[in-house]
Amino acid sequence: MTATPEQTTATQTALQPVGGGGVVVVERKQPGQSYGQGIAKGMAVVIRHFAKSFTSRIDDKSDQAGMFTVEYPEERMELPEAYRNMPVLLYDDKTGQELCTSCFQCERICPPKVIHITQAKDPNTGKAVPAAEEFIIEYDSCMSCGLCHEICPFDAIKMDHFYELSTHDHLAMDQNKAALDRPISYYQAIAPNLWAAVEANAMKKLQNNVKRRPGNIGVAPHMIGKTQKALPTAAAAGAGAAAAARPKTPVAAIGKNMSPEKVARLEAIRAAKRGGATMPGESEIVAPSPVASGESGLHVAESQAGLAPSPATTPAPATGPVAAVGQSMSDEKKARLEAIRAAKRAQGGGQ
Amino acid sequence: MRAMWEFFFGVGWLATLTSYLTITTAILVAGSLVMMLLTWIERRGLGYMQDRKGPNRVGPFGLFQPIAEAIKTITKEDITPTDADRWVHFLAPVVILASTVAAFAVIPWGNLIPVDINVGVLYIVAVSAVHTVGILMAGWASNNKFALLGGMRGVAQAISYEIPQVLSLVSIVMLVGSMSVVDVIQNQMDPYGNILSWHIFTPVGLLSFIVFWIASLAEGERPPFDNPEAESELVAGYMTEYGGMKFAVLFLANYLTNFAICAVTAGVFLGGGNGPGSDIPILGTLLSVFYFLAKSLGLFFVMVWIRGVVPRLRIDELMHFAWKFLLPLALVNIFSTSLWIAIIRWGAEQGMGIAEALGAPGSIARIAVAWVVTAIINVVAFFLVARLNATRGVTTYQATPTAV
Amino acid sequence: MLKTEELQINIGPQHPSTHGVFRLMATVDGETVVHLEPVFGYLHRNHEQLGEIWTYLQTITITDRLDYFNSMINEHGYCMTVEKLASIEVPERAEYIRVIMSELSRILNHAAAIGFWLQDMGSWGTTLMFGFRQREMIMDIFESVGGSRMMCNYMRFGGVARDLTPNLVEQINLFLEGFPQFIDDFERLMMENEILLARSRNVGVLPKELAAAYSVTGPVIRGSGIPYDIRRAEPYSIYDRFAFDIPVGSVGDVYDRFLVRMEEMRQSHRILRQAMEQLPQASGSYINQAYKAASKQQGLRLPAGEAYCRVESPKGELGYYIVSNGGNSAYRYGIRAPSLINLTALNDMCRGYTVADIVVILGSIDIVMGEVDR
Repeated sequence: MTATPEQTTATQTALQPVGGGGVVVVERKQPGQSYGQGIAKGMAVVIRHFAKSFTSRIDDKSDQAGMFTVEYPEERMELPEAYRNMPVLLYDDKTGQELCTSCFQCERICPPKVIHITQAKDPNTGKAVPAAEEFIIEYDSCMSCGLCHEICPFDAIKMDHFYELSTHDHLAMDQNKAALDRPISYYQAIAPNLWAAVEANAMKKLQNNVKRRPGNIGVAPHMIGKTQKALPTAAAAGAGAAAAARPKTPVAAIGKNMSPEKVARLEAIRAAKRGGATMPGESEIVAPSPVASGESGLHVAESQAGLAPSPATTPAPATGPVAAVGQSMSDEKKARLEAIRAAKRAQGGGQ
Repeated sequence: MRAMWEFFFGVGWLATLTSYLTITTAILVAGSLVMMLLTWIERRGLGYMQDRKGPNRVGPFGLFQPIAEAIKTITKEDITPTDADRWVHFLAPVVILASTVAAFAVIPWGNLIPVDINVGVLYIVAVSAVHTVGILMAGWASNNKFALLGGMRGVAQAISYEIPQVLSLVSIVMLVGSMSVVDVIQNQMDPYGNILSWHIFTPVGLLSFIVFWIASLAEGERPPFDNPEAESELVAGYMTEYGGMKFAVLFLANYLTNFAICAVTAGVFLGGGNGPGSDIPILGTLLSVFYFLAKSLGLFFVMVWIRGVVPRLRIDELMHFAWKFLLPLALVNIFSTSLWIAIIRWGAEQGMGIAEALGAPGSIARIAVAWVVTAIINVVAFFLVARLNATRGVTTYQATPTAV
Repeated sequence: MLKTEELQINIGPQHPSTHGVFRLMATVDGETVVHLEPVFGYLHRNHEQLGEIWTYLQTITITDRLDYFNSMINEHGYCMTVEKLASIEVPERAEYIRVIMSELSRILNHAAAIGFWLQDMGSWGTTLMFGFRQREMIMDIFESVGGSRMMCNYMRFGGVARDLTPNLVEQINLFLEGFPQFIDDFERLMMENEILLARSRNVGVLPKELAAAYSVTGPVIRGSGIPYDIRRAEPYSIYDRFAFDIPVGSVGDVYDRFLVRMEEMRQSHRILRQAMEQLPQASGSYINQAYKAASKQQGLRLPAGEAYCRVESPKGELGYYIVSNGGNSAYRYGIRAPSLINLTALNDMCRGYTVADIVVILGSIDIVMGEVDR
């Protein structure tokens, strides 16, 4: 196996690279002088490994002899931070608010199409809010490619390190939102550096979104009871801080296509929130921006209709959005929406 | 034991029957236990050679793993292929196991001797040859092409390797002057506990040991001669269509054969149960059993060790190896054995005064002369045969490329 | 002469040594092979069709599943093709990372391939375990960098998904330190083994001309004595910067292929050493900043046209062919899979040898059914 580039490169000038190196003819071992010493050499190597297996184990990546086994249930391999198994959703530890805004990016990128999101909507108005009503991932078909977590602009979907998912029950592998939700501290524990890199951005986006979520929407289901008391203060603190920092922005952002009186009412609600009052009551809720909310409400309805209902989901009544959306709509708009909806239904009927 | 029975019951035939039944049961039980131990040694040994643990879950150090597997195989459904020859398919494991167990009749466990017949060595060789019939039966009856190929390979291999195996034992029989296994072991007994009196420590015995051991590996279908059951080629060879209990029996027979080989090798070449203190009345018996088991299991470990290193020989190379390498060596060894005997036993008065002619009369000098002469003959023969095989023995096939 | 009957054996689709669901219809005369017909298609997964439906970014995830022993090189080839069509610049550092991952992948593949080959030959597990230990260590590296051991999904258009952290660089250097020890161990263990020599010398001979005629690539053609290596024949990425030798055989038997693989591992180690040295000086980021956001990659629309790129996979020349009509997924997507094309020479390699040689010859081609059937 000696490299003899000088000999062979002459004939291989066409293949002469810039970096150097040539062609080597591998040296064939000629039999003839062997009386079993080749096997004896091999046996010496093997017995050395045998002996070393008792005394040492391979800890170092440069070791070549020693026990290599990691006895799984008792010992576990240290998982690298980047390790990805199955996607999970993150929520804020204190408030229970999910980072997910149901932007559908992950659902769209998922190669095996195992993510199914239902956008949440305001219970009173039917207006879509930036939160997921239901979030289902079919773990049994997930290929763990990690594209969803890579694309998520809100860092809401992350890859879990938990891998003991074996089950006899395939249906149980369909994880709903309640099963997917993990606190941020959990992810921070398994991947501290990765989280540190995105934390500031993610938390800022969360705060922005929280302002547009009414009530319990976007809160991890098992956190609802626990955070009822903590929620207002936390939200108030968050919103208050945001408002103090940039008093104009929320108004500008929300009020883009709002009538002045709506802006005023929203301001009132916000003031109430800031004051630590309870969440806005049903009568107070108004749907701003009829067209926009109508469209997104439609989207919710359609995606719900198109989704195969899972055991965990409780889809909202199909008439809900119509009624809710229609509250502050003119008749012709209603008619137009109805037409669009009918067209969509015809289109998506085969889903 | 027989005397005891006669003393208590006074019925001769009953005493004989009972004592032999007891011995048979003891052999079967001990054999099965040893087989379990062997599978454990094999798997743990191989595991450690490959830097992994091997079975370590059931019982301490995984010692009960074979029991768990026995339960598993025994409770599995017994399947006979539809078009198989049902009776032959059923009988093949029986024949194989029976021939293997029968060989244990004359193998002494240290000082414990089941039966001492005066043609013990011949008996072992003869009985274990029946094994071949069982392999052919299994291969044929399964109605499976892999099984058939495996069976054919098994027969060809077993018959070929029996010849060097027997011829290498002939040297030892010549040295000892008896075919009784007990006599062979007694011949290696030294009053001073000197292990140099074992057969393996003479040039004749060493070459005989090498030939016998290699041939026995082939007989026991151990790597590198595991062609009949070559996993990567023939799935499981003649065992392909066997499952459950029948497979367990074949597996048991396989390991019992391996143990028999180790036991015979230990007895014939390594002095059986000989060792320091093995002639003390009762403790010595225990000690001798211990020595015997230690030697046998040590030899089995060598088998495992070899398995951890070598690839499998191709069937034609395997045949060449038997006929062109082992057989000439065995024949040369018979020749040098006869020289050894001649030099040691015959002096000038018998017309063989080699030692006297060299100016060194006396038994020690005779042994020295015999040692040197046979060592030279055997070493030269070994290297010569190896050389001839390396240069001439390689068969090259010529592939016939089609026009492209 | 006695008339004997020829026997037809179906080796596979369920067989320990067919490396997946693969069937060999062997006609044997005794133990000698008269004719051999490979039958495949049992693992067809519609790969190329999927690549025409999924977006370019999504398709990266399934190139991992082609030859699942070296997912990194598969991704490399695919990303190169897309980059060529879309004229995406790849920063220098990203190129280095790609080369490091590709060469690690080559070592991984060869170590496992030699282990499997010797396992097929009947060397009971030891060689395989030794080879797999290297694979295990490299997969640990892949896991740290890409997140997954086999299906790395690491390369992106314009770079790679994640940067090499100093920790990882350390890990790779540690591996490179220990690796020569493995080669030495392995050579002592197997290189002079008489049985290995007897089993592999002059077995499965594929003459030079026949090899070229079958257009086999990779270690198979190099074993036959033709120094054809894409890294040298058409240097892609930054392979022209490294000094490495191309090992070739002289006879073209399975022994030569084994030796070529052993030497290629050494050469990969050599390339890795150079790449790890040069990595700190490499300019640029780990990915083209314009394509850093995943959403940018997801929405990537290639200009209409076609591109073909090839890389030297451990099995041979791996080519990707993409036709775009301007949409966000390929209009036509085709793969030149080295395993499949190397397999076509199997009949000529096996004829005249024995049943036991079939598995050895098949193992020496080193096929992965995921790539053959796609």
